[in-house]
Amino acid sequence: MSAPSTHGRAAARVLLLLLAALVLWTGAAGLGVTAVGDAHAQPAPGNPGATAKAPPRSATPAGKGNGDRDSKYGPPLKKRGGPIAGLFWGFAGLAVLGSLFVVTRRNLITAVMGMVGTFFAIAALYMMLYASFLAIIQMLVYAGAIMVLFVFVIMILNKPEDEPYGGPGKAGKILAGLAIAYLLFRIASVLLHPAPSGWGTERLDLALQHPAATAQGYVWGSTASVGWNLFNDYLFPFEAVSILLLMAVVGAIAIARPLKDDVVEGPATDDGAAAGASPGGHS
Amino acid sequence: MKSILIDIGYSHFLILAAVLFAIGTAGVILRRNILIIMMSIELQLNAANLTILTFARMHGDLSGHSFAMIVIAVAAAEVAVGLAIVVAIFRGRRHVDADRLNLLKH
Repeated sequence: MSAPSTHGRAAARVLLLLLAALVLWTGAAGLGVTAVGDAHAQPAPGNPGATAKAPPRSATPAGKGNGDRDSKYGPPLKKRGGPIAGLFWGFAGLAVLGSLFVVTRRNLITAVMGMVGTFFAIAALYMMLYASFLAIIQMLVYAGAIMVLFVFVIMILNKPEDEPYGGPGKAGKILAGLAIAYLLFRIASVLLHPAPSGWGTERLDLALQHPAATAQGYVWGSTASVGWNLFNDYLFPFEAVSILLLMAVVGAIAIARPLKDDVVEGPATDDGAAAGASPGGHS
Repeated sequence: MKSILIDIGYSHFLILAAVLFAIGTAGVILRRNILIIMMSIELQLNAANLTILTFARMHGDLSGHSFAMIVIAVAAAEVAVGLAIVVAIFRGRRHVDADRLNLLKH
């Protein structure tokens, strides 16, 4: 291991502490804002005689404060928590844990797997926000294409100092078996019994009130509504993105293409001859 | 305190996006492997997308969805070019350590 600097590592620790403090402060500030908003909106509907009874009433769940606070922002959130709140916390925890895996793990494949978990959790959160089209795009593009690209590049690089990824333990095998069994069960159930009508919307209505349909009559957040918005209001950015993607494809091919004199002028000339003789021969 | 845990509001999504963005920033600053740095950048873009979609939901405006989709496309282009650069660097230098790539430093 080359020793870049010890004070660099100390500075990194200080930065990590600062960022952890920032995360904690952000979370505390957010919770404080929520609590203040509840306390601020709670005694508003009560008359002065009822203020003495305010503390026992504040213990009742699902206070009116949330509706008052959110009413100026579009449709209010429904006050039924329960399993949907548990879903939010579960996916939020999965996203945070996966991103912490990305930042902290040394094994690159482990980091990529944490990233995939984060992307799936974020797609689920998109679904809770009624962005169904964006959730599917998130799964296809991020968890599918981009992560596979990362895995390809990691396999190409084939870093020698990374220990080979060990097989899963007993718990991992049991979890994988359960996951595969559940997947097969779901596929079989879908193939045998088609879903009843209106199944998805009823389940999602428990969490948040469904937003109103768009002016064109499409379901909010669906593919049709996003497409209408994209091709009417944002047609020029869409075309610009298509040109950008074309340039990215051409540029990626032009950059990553092996040149004849690439290895010769590289600074690592000690093993450059071996690499020039057979590029990619190590793997 | 219990209502904070039970009643999920828009602020929860925004706080989660802020936390994810902070973790991505930590990854960009602290790690040396270029691949990890690029994954952290992807994490930051995702956090920004989550914020955009939360605001779109708050205001009932679908423009945020179009914007998030354009952000995803730009992120895909960035990843393609960035990984090509990583492969090109690795071909010549046999490492992708960001601290040792100081050729442009005079």
